[in-house]
Amino acid sequence: MRRAWFIGGGAHTALGTDLAAAVGALEKISEPERVPLQYGDTLDEIPYRLLAGRPLERLEERLYDVLAGVIERALDEAAISADERLRMGLFLGSSSADVSVSEARFRRELAESDDAIALIASNSIANLALHLRRRFGLRGPDYSFNTACTASANALVTASDMIARGRIENALVVGVELFNVVTAAGFQSLGLLAPGNMRPFDRDRDGLTPGEGCSALVLSARQRSSDDLYLRGSATLCDTYSMSTTNPDGSTVATVIERALERAGVSSAEIAAIKVHGTASLHSDEAEAAGMQAVFDPVPPIFALKPHLGHTLGACGLNELLLFRAAMGQGVLPGTPGIASADRSDSGLALNQHNCDIGPGHFMLNYFGFGGNNTSLIVSNVD
Amino acid sequence: MSIEYAPREVWIRGTGDYREPVEGDTPPRLKTLVQESLGVPVRRIGRFIQLALIGAGRCAGSRSPGRDTAVYMSSARGDLETTLDVVETLFRYGMPPMPLSFVNTVSNAPCYYVARHFDLAGRSNFVCSRSFAFESVLDLALLDIESGYMDSALVGSVDIATSPVAYHRRRLQIGRDEPIAEGSHWLWLHAGECPEDAIGELVAAREFGDRDELIEWLSAQPLPIPDTCLAAGQFAAREDIAAVRQATGIERRFEPPKSPGYYDSQSGGTINAFLHHDRQRWLVHINGEIDGARCTATIVRRLDQSS
Repeated sequence: MRRAWFIGGGAHTALGTDLAAAVGALEKISEPERVPLQYGDTLDEIPYRLLAGRPLERLEERLYDVLAGVIERALDEAAISADERLRMGLFLGSSSADVSVSEARFRRELAESDDAIALIASNSIANLALHLRRRFGLRGPDYSFNTACTASANALVTASDMIARGRIENALVVGVELFNVVTAAGFQSLGLLAPGNMRPFDRDRDGLTPGEGCSALVLSARQRSSDDLYLRGSATLCDTYSMSTTNPDGSTVATVIERALERAGVSSAEIAAIKVHGTASLHSDEAEAAGMQAVFDPVPPIFALKPHLGHTLGACGLNELLLFRAAMGQGVLPGTPGIASADRSDSGLALNQHNCDIGPGHFMLNYFGFGGNNTSLIVSNVD
Repeated sequence: MSIEYAPREVWIRGTGDYREPVEGDTPPRLKTLVQESLGVPVRRIGRFIQLALIGAGRCAGSRSPGRDTAVYMSSARGDLETTLDVVETLFRYGMPPMPLSFVNTVSNAPCYYVARHFDLAGRSNFVCSRSFAFESVLDLALLDIESGYMDSALVGSVDIATSPVAYHRRRLQIGRDEPIAEGSHWLWLHAGECPEDAIGELVAAREFGDRDELIEWLSAQPLPIPDTCLAAGQFAAREDIAAVRQATGIERRFEPPKSPGYYDSQSGGTINAFLHHDRQRWLVHINGEIDGARCTATIVRRLDQSS
């Protein structure tokens, strides 16, 4: 069976657009910005990790400009031919798609007239994919995944499987999440926002810090370098415990992890490290820790990326994978200094504290989303 | 990844449909239909989830899909109602969204509720496609069955109307005189040995770059032409259908019952209607892309219920 190699990536997150440079930034954790949240008479401020160097201006164009840059960087690195680009499939994963654009437009039109109608221009989640196909001259199939925080991870899985089964030769996987009031106010109404930076697995964890991030990854049936990563196996399962959290006993986390290992043909002992989902809520982290402890003995090194990027929701699958890919390119396992160290963790599992050396191997990246969608990826750069 | 799975036939164990016109300015209430379809009430859910439950409930009927059954769903537009509710609450009325409203804006919420009702713990996915909502989810389900992830899947596509309907028309750019409808169309797929209750086979669901690619592929399929009919998807170009007929020799057309109005996921309605008609046993359903050259071919075979 063919593999789908990761041959080109681009991202724009709170750490900037240079993924390689972002790895160095992982040695320390900055405080998130405080962003105004305004609707009606409400004016609040919430911690948020916004895109570096890209203020919240020109909101009706911002999404498209950011995505264009991210995709161009991925395509440049991949160096695929014009004909290959024409035929590549587009797999987009997001929680909010172009809501940032449609709400900005609605607010503008509402300020002009009470007769404004919401979602006039943006009346389908798939419209963003159509825009990207036109913008980049893509004529292959397009799929827009909307499974909350697992969306771009699931997009990656399908893209990889289509290449493996010979349906397509190349794929462009895109993760999209930009600030929008709907999402920010929604999480605020749920009481899930941290007052400062998020601290997954830490005894003082108190919620998530939302983040912006857009990323793109080119997959190809053609391996470009012996260091290329590929998706070795995965599992996606539905957890009907609750719409907003996984089963705190960890059983559903354990099941999806076990299925992913089975699909990858890899034993738990062969996993070199695990990227946790780590949303820093009391129960979600508890569930994730319990699930890992049920499957791994001992649990390999675990690391988190959301304290650096914020929780980028539907795009976190791809954003975190790309940051991990950049780190692997430098032989680095990312750290989160001061968060969930051995004496600060209440689960018995400590997060990797500092960037440290890591060699090639098999790595697990986990994602769990609203609507009970749990996804576990096994990514490798060895046979 | 080195797992190879042998190709298997994919059977259709059931179909479930809801397709009704929307008259006046407000779509009809669905609570009673949800309870009739499932046998139990489900509260605090919006229309998108209600339609999914009605379709999936009618599809499975009184049977219990196995716990590993996947739930895959698609839509051309997604849950417009819940998104509109949150957007209007925030920006027109200046109020914070209700927590449950916000949580239910995730498009895969229907998959959760379907899985919860049938006590399923298998795969789950939600995908959106503007032109090929039903076709894309069939394609995804077949890919995942072929990849060995699952043997059984409830697969559906839903598109709703929102209130006020006048705004819905403007949003979808539907003329004032064109009727509006909503639809929910589901199949229960099973891979492997033919189950006793199978009513058909999903032979293929493929997408092509253009008509020529489609015709080349279709012409190579071993179809019993005299026993095969052709159906045009709602976005299929007339000239594409004519070209397919000429190239393949498929003369007979399948005309499903007329749609009660405009909604996007109509392919599911046509394919499901074919499975319950009593003439030709093979259907080739062709659909086209709005503003593009891509097209799809879905082939189903209806099983003779007497055999």
